Amino acid sequence: MTDYKSIIKAVENAASENGLEDYELYLTTSESIGCETFRDELSEFSSSKGTSVYFRCIKNGKLGYATTQKTDDEEISLLVARGAENALINEKDERAIIYDGKGEYRQVPEVQFTLPSAAKLASIAMDMRNTLYNSDKNIADGTSAGTGAYLSSTFIYNSKGLTLENEVGNANAYMYAVVSDENGESPESAFKGVYKDIDSFDQQEVADYVINKAKRKFGAGNVKTGKYNIIFSRECMAEILSTYRSVFYADSAQKGFSKLGKSLVGTKIASDIVTLTDTPFKEDNPLQISFDGEGYPTMEKNVIENGILKTMLYNLTTAEKDGVESTGNASRGGSGIGTRVYSFFINPGRMNDEELIKFAENGIFVTDMKGFHAGADTVSGDFSIESEGFVIENGVLTRPVRSFTVAGNFFDLLLNIKEISSELEMRSPGFTQIASPAVLIENMSVAGE
Amino acid sequence: MIKKNILERVLMKAMSTGADFAEIFVEHTRSNSLYFINSRIEEISDSTISGAGIRAFLGCRCVSASTTDLSESGLVTCAERVADVISQSRAEVSISLTRAIPTNVHPIKIVPDTVAKSRKVDLLKAGCFAASEKSPEIFQVSGSLSDVDHEILVANSDGLLIGDRSIRTRMGISAIGDRGGNRQSGFYGPGAKMGLEFFDTVDPKSVGEEAARIALVKLGARPCPAGKMTVAIENGFGGVIFHEACGHSLEATSVAKNTSQMAGKLGMKIASEKVTAVDDGTIPGAWGSINIDDEGTPSRRNVLIENGILKSYMIDKLNGRRMGMAPTGNSRRQSYAYDPTSRMTNTFIENGNDKNEDIIASIEYGLLANRMGGGSVNPINGTFNFSVEEGYIVRNGKICEPVLGASLIGKGSEILMNIDMVGQNLFCGQGMCGSSSGSIPTNVGQPLIRVSSITVGGTAEE
Repeated sequence: MTDYKSIIKAVENAASENGLEDYELYLTTSESIGCETFRDELSEFSSSKGTSVYFRCIKNGKLGYATTQKTDDEEISLLVARGAENALINEKDERAIIYDGKGEYRQVPEVQFTLPSAAKLASIAMDMRNTLYNSDKNIADGTSAGTGAYLSSTFIYNSKGLTLENEVGNANAYMYAVVSDENGESPESAFKGVYKDIDSFDQQEVADYVINKAKRKFGAGNVKTGKYNIIFSRECMAEILSTYRSVFYADSAQKGFSKLGKSLVGTKIASDIVTLTDTPFKEDNPLQISFDGEGYPTMEKNVIENGILKTMLYNLTTAEKDGVESTGNASRGGSGIGTRVYSFFINPGRMNDEELIKFAENGIFVTDMKGFHAGADTVSGDFSIESEGFVIENGVLTRPVRSFTVAGNFFDLLLNIKEISSELEMRSPGFTQIASPAVLIENMSVAGE
Repeated sequence: MIKKNILERVLMKAMSTGADFAEIFVEHTRSNSLYFINSRIEEISDSTISGAGIRAFLGCRCVSASTTDLSESGLVTCAERVADVISQSRAEVSISLTRAIPTNVHPIKIVPDTVAKSRKVDLLKAGCFAASEKSPEIFQVSGSLSDVDHEILVANSDGLLIGDRSIRTRMGISAIGDRGGNRQSGFYGPGAKMGLEFFDTVDPKSVGEEAARIALVKLGARPCPAGKMTVAIENGFGGVIFHEACGHSLEATSVAKNTSQMAGKLGMKIASEKVTAVDDGTIPGAWGSINIDDEGTPSRRNVLIENGILKSYMIDKLNGRRMGMAPTGNSRRQSYAYDPTSRMTNTFIENGNDKNEDIIASIEYGLLANRMGGGSVNPINGTFNFSVEEGYIVRNGKICEPVLGASLIGKGSEILMNIDMVGQNLFCGQGMCGSSSGSIPTNVGQPLIRVSSITVGGTAEE
């Protein structure tokens, strides 16, 4: 794909001109295609191809960063000069680290993936579209099927002698159904993604799932303001975990943005039944990686084990500050090194969703939540989120409800998890995939009528 | 950025298999951000985004491709990828571009990239230290100073060749207060389509002080009661209510596909007669302004709702074809890597006839949302939510104690009808709006308004 050698050469030349102590290149290249349908045709088709060059260097003991998407020699030499200039205004006094690659890297399954042709993706999307439209007479405008695929590679090269490369790719598909009621009004919608075997999965099963999911919302009513037992569906609990993942980052804690931190390691922060795992090696995930954004080896760990906080998540700098080893959770982006998670999930419990609903007896099963970016505060842990779902009466789901908020506090929620479902479903493959089984929490605040 | 004859060849290649329209969008963007935390500058980001997006239409079908390779061969290959998918009959097309110059209504006095970074460091520190100095309870302050220099070029098979350059500057400061282990944050982030002269109009210290003020108010606040109540929403970022409850539903993105509550309602009453709402991308220096949109159409002032009657949608070229309507200068994209679609610019509710003091005095028991956070909407059924950053209980017409953790939810069509008082202090707040064509700068705005009844989400029982 990209000609790494000429970029490395241009960087080497510019590095000596700028008097750099050390430097590192982090290159990503990606290629993707995707299409979607509208009514009876393939309405949109898009493809992209691109390279990004992330550069960092140490000058006068400080780190400097710069990024570009142009790879000609002139731009690369400007990139290096900008990185050097930025190091001079960096006031961070932690030791500047560029990793030497001396750690042990675990082997990950090699990916043999080639992008499907545009024609093939288009034909699958149209098949899916036809399956959707043939499955229900009240299917409405907005219904669409789509397919996509991508191939991306990451390459690290630094002056400490480290060279690492990783290539991944995957194809996916989705069905999105909008269904009207018998009078052709009050459309409801539902979505489901398919992340493997897109040319051989059971289209009818997925179409029926999304159509029924949309139809079940017909005639959604209100709930009265009050305290309820709440089951967060696996999708909703995954959203909550995704929103609050940064509270487990040592970086957030060291900056005062999280109530957690090194001092709480070894203490109880969650209900005894909660075990939270982070691993870059989740079986079935085609996107596995053996090194992080700093080139440090990645590893599997429990962040919470039976309710006890076992570790925060670290990169090299935040680990040195807390006097521990990095957990291999460095992210790499335009503004530098941060923290990220991999497959990050709450481990399954002892009863399935149906048994969990029965156990809850009365309350609300929350299936959709919206607006986490605004309605959740990661510093205090408070959230108040627009929700939809079903009323639970005498251990079964009864009527659909919407336009209510569920409010609470993430840290309290962790401690108050009463039961966890045994049904865990990892979501779309990715270097980051956040998942959880459904969970039951008693006595949560609901605002409605 | 790219020679005219190359652009012509690329467009002809994209049209060569039967497309009836082709367009190329080329972008070169330089962004700089400084990040302040722990009383010092800890991160500096400095990036160049460079690439092209090519689109071709065949009726209402759109095929697009993007690339970071701006060489002639890179662009032609990209156009070939488009032509391959269109793949109808071979077509000989001749395209001749004529350069147009947009009117620049946003002259820049101080181009940020020409200024020493140390000067930006000083501005950011002035803002952040002002937040820390506001109170010993403010224990952490983070802030950023970002500037973006965005050059675009649009050429299409209608012969249009037009370029534009826009510069934006924004400072965002977040202050965290701690009182006995209770931690609360406040954020304020004004910005403009201006260079560093922006700080002649906004004192960096006032940004930090405002962030700290909000955090301190929240430290003394109790949980918000839940339930239906009358709510007054202040100006500035309060306009996010119109943006979410109605604005997104007026974008052709969902109207053209008949997936918006507002589809087919032109000329109908969709809001209280107190409401006149406008999308105007021509306001000089405003955060959401553009000279031309990302399809090269000049920006303009579009009255969306006049005295409660729906007057106009916001329309891009592709969805305009689907709707049989002309574009309104609202087609926007985060970058060349996203397909453009209809989006908002500066969107606000106009001043009304009610006096602000009368609005507060009219509320027997309710909530004053003094500062809003963000929100989101599902245009299919119109349900929306947004969070209240700083709120107060109003009792017997008087603003009383602050409350925490409130969110407002409802249905767009209902809330527009429930706006029963509109005040007179129109002011805009700045935000980044995320949608299918990526994240773009938009202004939201309104004067103080009263909503007669809306569901308030909170945790307290009252």
